[in-house]
Parts: sequence; structure tokens; C-alpha cells
Amino acid sequence: LRFLIVSQLDPYARAVRTITKYVEKAAALGHEVAVYGEKVSEGPQVPYSLDVDRFDFALFVIYQAADFPNLPYLARLLDGMPKERRVIVDCLGRYNETIRVDHDFNHLEKLDGHQGWEWVEGFQAVSDVVLQPTLNPQRDDVHSFLFHAFDLEAVARPYASAADAARAWSAKGAKPFGLVYVGNNWQRWDQIAALLQALAPVRNQLGPTCLTGWDWERRPDWAIELGLAGVDVDPDLLARLGVETRSAVPYNEVVDLAGQGSFCPIIHRPLFRHLGLVTTRTFETFCSDALPLLLLPTEQVEALYGSAALALVPGDDPAGFVEDALRRPEPYWDAVLGTRAHLAKHHSYERRFDNLAAILGTAALAPSAPAAR
Amino acid sequence: MKVLFVMERRVDAGSIHAVANHIRAGDEAGHTMALYGRPDPRFPGVRFAVDATAFDHVVFVVESSLSWMSALRIPAILERVPRSRRAVLDVDGMYNPLICVDSYDRNHAAEEERATWLAHYAMLADRVFQPTLGSHQPGVFPVPFYGYDPASTLAPEASPPKCFDVMHVGHNWWRGRELNRLLPALERIRDELDGVCFLGSWWDRPPAGANELGLEAAFATDSDSLTRLRIEVRPPVPFTDVIREMSVGRVNLMTQRPLFRQLRILTSKYFEIFCADTIPLVLLAPDHAEAVYGNAGPELSLDYGVEEKLLDALASPRKYREIVEEVRRHLIEHHSYRRRVEELVSALASSLEVTRSP
Repeated sequence: LRFLIVSQLDPYARAVRTITKYVEKAAALGHEVAVYGEKVSEGPQVPYSLDVDRFDFALFVIYQAADFPNLPYLARLLDGMPKERRVIVDCLGRYNETIRVDHDFNHLEKLDGHQGWEWVEGFQAVSDVVLQPTLNPQRDDVHSFLFHAFDLEAVARPYASAADAARAWSAKGAKPFGLVYVGNNWQRWDQIAALLQALAPVRNQLGPTCLTGWDWERRPDWAIELGLAGVDVDPDLLARLGVETRSAVPYNEVVDLAGQGSFCPIIHRPLFRHLGLVTTRTFETFCSDALPLLLLPTEQVEALYGSAALALVPGDDPAGFVEDALRRPEPYWDAVLGTRAHLAKHHSYERRFDNLAAILGTAALAPSAPAAR
Repeated sequence: MKVLFVMERRVDAGSIHAVANHIRAGDEAGHTMALYGRPDPRFPGVRFAVDATAFDHVVFVVESSLSWMSALRIPAILERVPRSRRAVLDVDGMYNPLICVDSYDRNHAAEEERATWLAHYAMLADRVFQPTLGSHQPGVFPVPFYGYDPASTLAPEASPPKCFDVMHVGHNWWRGRELNRLLPALERIRDELDGVCFLGSWWDRPPAGANELGLEAAFATDSDSLTRLRIEVRPPVPFTDVIREMSVGRVNLMTQRPLFRQLRILTSKYFEIFCADTIPLVLLAPDHAEAVYGNAGPELSLDYGVEEKLLDALASPRKYREIVEEVRRHLIEHHSYRRRVEELVSALASSLEVTRSP
């Protein structure tokens, strides 16, 4: 496969980890992947290209409207790449009817100026093929493609056995934090707050907690101005529970930072839970040297991670889960190693390239037609 | 002719009132005009449409942002409407060479930014219009666009009660220098005034993120002076309420950002203020006021002696009503939306001729 990824790479957010992995893995697997655009001196060091003709298709990785290049670059791309070879990975479920879940949403005009129908018709104007990183897309004209993946080679501390893992993990002074969450405060607060409160009774055994990412210190001015509740935070609660907040770290520091905690929660924002969407962190967290707390629906856990991962679901008793894991970590690490093996088998980047080739073979790489613009 | 406007839709800012007036006046003149989008109750009286192929021309009304020209809406339009039938209405002078007025107001922060704009314009259309009465900018065709709607003129008997002696309706967007002239004058006569109100966005504080975007000067405000001068700040109102809100002031002040004044760019406010039941006083040079408002225009210019003019207007409402009526007659003759529609239709038709000729 030779494809161009079209997206805005932000070292602190969205799919930057996944995109750099596609670039990295492509060469080893006999593929070629570059990012569409001018070479930039800052940010991820990936190959950039404007040479549209050299590639078989363009993979638009879309979270927000700004992930499309601005007009002159977009026109060059649309002129050079026929519509049937343009593929959209709809990471946020934009290509759906407007959905509201708690404070979360897939369209909000006051935030980005676009109404729901524009997302749907805009996608249709750019491409005939829309993929969503969920096992269960809601629309018939969407293909399931999880996009994000697990890289076994990126595991921070590979262990030969659960006993080794448990020993290393339990060693005195091994972890500066009991719990670390690495992610930005965007539609996460309700779940984080509930977790922190649930763990309050075992704070002393657990150790300090650290939240790393944008806007954990206070609700930002722009959210207040727009009346957005999805960026809530309660500084008093954080202070009361002794939670440390840190600013965001770049994508290549996430695994190490997550591993500074004994536990690292995997949380999907309400919209993602509703649509079953996965994220970079869904898989990347299993690379860190922390016990993942899977705060996801049980059926999704089993479908994504395999049955071994069910042991990592704290359910209604996070405090009991943490106490038990601290007391006898080996079964939990056994679940982690089992889950890593499942992910390596079913959700590797190699598998994603195969998935993509299969989808494009049937849906996108039909005989070329003239450029649709 | 059928014309589809494409623009950033803002209910309380920009060119939405002019578009609504073009739709109404277009209907009267047998031209069908609409705004790109789905019907939206926040925009009463505005016809919406999304099928660009149903229109003869598409006019991109471009203000001071490019972000609304997103890939979600523009490619579909470019794909369906031939270039010869597209035009850009450059309402903020972004097409002009880099200009910085008095080391303060500017169209672009740097040449690179302007290059980005020109690249966008080059994508959209060959033809660029600007809302002036006559442009000296090469490659730009003047299409005044903003106009006067006599039917919207609020009669004194239909006007709401007066709450303020002095009103200013507009957002705090590059108005700092204008305030440097107005506020000292208001301060000198403040005790003689019965209420002063500034209605619009960002008078109390800049929007979040302004400083990060390098726009602190654009939103700078002197909140200490506003407080000291007992100036009531009210939030903006939808375009449908602007004329009524202006009418609660005995006198309305019209300011314009320095860049627009230098480029002689028209705005909705030039004409809305004459629809309101108020005495408009405009911060324009007398010759500028005359060019737009006719012979009586200079009588309403605040260019010299702001406080004297203000006190005179408040003390002699009958005299100023006559001046306003004379200006309104001039506006009906020269700046009605009926005329604006014909000018636009003519410009679009001639641009088509130019494109067709060998």
C-alpha cells in the first residue's frame, strides 16, 4: 500500500501516535506512508509529501474541520486524487446524525461553525468511503476500521511472566504515583471525578494521583464563554484528594508517564462509549508499565481486548479492585500479559494494514475515474 | 438572476443584515437570492439553500476569518459551480496590499498571512468585489453592497422609549483609537448627559484566546474609563433588533475601524443608523460623510468638536431631525437595497461577460 495521511498533527492530541506508528511500521511491512503537506521543522518527524501522484490513495484522518488542509492544499489533493481513492477515517463519529450524550456531542455549531448536515454532506463531497474506528458503525454506508492499534514492540517493560511483572511492579519505590491519567480534560471530567471519589477510601494504600493534560487545573475561559460543560473540573475536589495536575506531554512521552503510576485508567468519553469508538489510548495504555483500569462497558472490553481483560474491569468497586491488586498483583498482571498477547494477535498495525487493504480492495480501489473536482 | 451568498453566519455581527436585505429586495426586483445553509429560525426572513447548482452565481462574502471556508462546505460548491459564476465580496479589505493604519489597525499581520488569503481567493474566483463607492485597488470591482432600507425606518411613534442620551452600537473590534477621541469628549460633558450605553461584544473584556492570536490591540478597551464615565455596557443583539435597539438612544454614534475608514469600506452600520429613530453622528471626515450621505452628511460629522456637536444634537432635535430626513432622502435615491441588488446583479453579469470574452 502507498498512501498519504491527511490530518493536522498535534504532538499533544488526537491521532498523532497512531499516525506516526503507521509511518514507522509501513517501511518494515513493505508499504509507504507519508503525511500530506509541507515539511515542518517542529513536531513529529515523519515524511511529508505533496506529490499526490505517487500514492495510491489518501487517508483523511478527521477529528475536526481543521484536519482537512486549507483550501489551496485541499484543491491540489482533490485534483490529483480521484474521489474513489480518497478515504475518510471518521475518528469522532461526525458522519452520523447529531448525537448528544451527557455533555458530549459529535456536532456543535457554536464550537466550530458547522451544523450536523454539513459534516455528512461534506464527507460525501470528499469521499465515497467512510471508515469509523468502532466495531459497530451506526450507518450502513460506514465500514468498521479500528485504525488505532497496539504495538508490542513499544511495550515499556516486557515481562517473561506475570510473576516477574508483579514483582517488579510491587517493588518498593518503583512508582512515584498510585494512579496516573494521561489525557486532556475534554469530556472526561464526570468519569474521572467518579473514579477519584471511589478511590478516596484507599488513597493511602494507592499513593498519589496525577492527571496530565490540558485544562485539569481549571475550566478554561473559552469553555466558560461558550457555556461548554464538557470541560468541567472541580479544583476543590482535586485539592481535597491531593491530586497533582500537570500540563500535557507530547505523544512520545505518554507511555513512560503512564507507567509512573501503579494504575492507569482507560476511559472513553461519553460519545465514544455510545458509538463504541476507540482511541490511541485504548491500545497504547497496554504498552505502559501500569495496570490498566478498564472503565469501559464489559461487552466492549471482551470484544476488543479478549476475555483475559475482563479481570481488569473494576466494575462498581474500584477501591476493592485496587486493594486486591495491590495485595496480590500476579493474577492482574497475568490478565495484562494475556491481553497484550490478544492485542498483538488481533490489533497490531500489521493487522490494520491488512484490514485497510481488504476494505480498499472492495470499496475504494475500483478503476480510476477522472478527478471529481 | 439567482444568487447564492456563502458566508460565516453570525446572527449579531458581520454582513447578515445586508444579506437579508438583498434577499428581500431581490424578491421585489425579480431576483432570487439566498444564503447557503439549512433553514434556521435564528435568521428570520433569510432564505436558505444548499443546492448551489440551482443558482446562477455564488458570492462568497469574506470578512476577517478564513476558518469558516472549511473543507466541509467549500469543495462541494466549487465542484458544482463553474469558476466563471463565482465571485468574492471582500468586505474587510483583505485583498489589498498589507496596510497598517497609524501603527495600529491592519488588514494582515504579515505578508505571509496575506499570501494565504490570496491563495484562498484564487481558489474561489477570478473576480473580487469590495463594498466601496469606488475602489482604486487594481483587480477589485466596487460593489457597495450595504444599503438603506426605507421600509425598516422606525417612525417616532413606533419607537421604544428613549433610555439613553448617547448610544454606540457595535462590537469592540479595532475601536481603541476611536474611543481615544470619544471618551475624553464624553467625559467633559458626562454630567450633562442622561445615560450612555455601548451595546455590543467585547467592551467589558476581550474574547478568550485574543492575546494568543496576537489580537490584543483589536479588542483593547479602557474599562476604567467606561466605569468612570458610567457607560452601561449591554450585550449584542440579533441583526433583526439592531434598529430598534439603536432607537432607545437620542443620539447614536457611529464609529468605524481605521482601516475601513482609510479604504472607504462601507458597512451595514452606515445605513442601519439612519433607519433608527435617533440622531446619528458619525465619526467620519466631512468629505467622507458627504460622499456617502450627500450634502447634509457633513452636518452629522463628528470630526471636530465632538462634545459641542453632541450637546447641540441633544439640545436641537428638530434641527437634526431635518438633517436626518435630508440624508434619508439621499439614501433612498442613491443607496436603497433595490439599487444595491441591481448593482450586484450588474456586476455579476458583467463579470460573466468578461469571462466569456476571448
